[in-house]
Amino acid sequence: MASSSGNDDDLTIPRAAINKMIKETLPNVRVANDARELVVNCCTEFIHLISSEANDICNKSEKKTISPEHVINALESLGFASYITEVKDVLQECKTVALKRRKASSRLENLGIPEEELLRQQQELFAKARQQQAELAQQEWLQMQQAAQQAQMAAASATAAQQAGSSQDEDEEDDI
Amino acid sequence: MKMSHNSSAKDDQASGSKKPISLPISRVRLIMKSSPDVSSINQDALFLTTKATELFVQHLALSSFNNGSGKETNTLSYSDLANTAQEADTFHFLTDILPKKILAQDYLNSLEQMQEEEGADY
Repeated sequence: MASSSGNDDDLTIPRAAINKMIKETLPNVRVANDARELVVNCCTEFIHLISSEANDICNKSEKKTISPEHVINALESLGFASYITEVKDVLQECKTVALKRRKASSRLENLGIPEEELLRQQQELFAKARQQQAELAQQEWLQMQQAAQQAQMAAASATAAQQAGSSQDEDEEDDI
Repeated sequence: MKMSHNSSAKDDQASGSKKPISLPISRVRLIMKSSPDVSSINQDALFLTTKATELFVQHLALSSFNNGSGKETNTLSYSDLANTAQEADTFHFLTDILPKKILAQDYLNSLEQMQEEEGADY
């Protein structure tokens, strides 16, 4: 059931997740629907309980962010000290998993190169590419110019040859 | 929409959860932030709270079942949970969200009492 309501207080853990946990905890036990619904709401209540207590502890410590330590103290003072060992273990596991994932992705993508260096290399490559392109363009321009010049010269000498030929004829006539 | 920061649910089929945490962490964060005055929560603190909530569900379900009337019939009912909330200190905070289920007889009794009191005024 998706929570489409904008009201904060309607936020609950998804029913399916709770059902699964109940099934794993009490296999083969029939659980009434209203009992399941109650468990869902108890979860929310529990989270609020822990958050408020942890928040109070946090405020007293003059820190701004609720830390793991605050949560653990909250569990202790609210009578849930028996949870502490296991939640601490899980936290350790989560950190290890997250660390492995970060290392793995950085190994694949960066080959161990830090981001700053990658950026620098990228800028270098761009600059080089721009330079090469400029040089290429210049070369092409020069070639075009040369070709044009040659064409011009060829045309000029052709005309000159023609003129030379016809002026010779005229001279001969004058001599007679 | 179920959002989970963990790997998919395909992992824990029969052998039980291989993932450290099964509940959706993002949802837990939302619920925490809807608490008055709660500003920012460290990510690790969030992990701890999520796992604690999981343990709470297991704890509540087990306690209610073991102390409840449904053990013979292998059922867990609403009243099993309600009774556990009333009787166990650690679960007492839940009585806030439990509407008190009044027995019909108790209701009639208190109704009678009210009528008697009103009668005495005349």
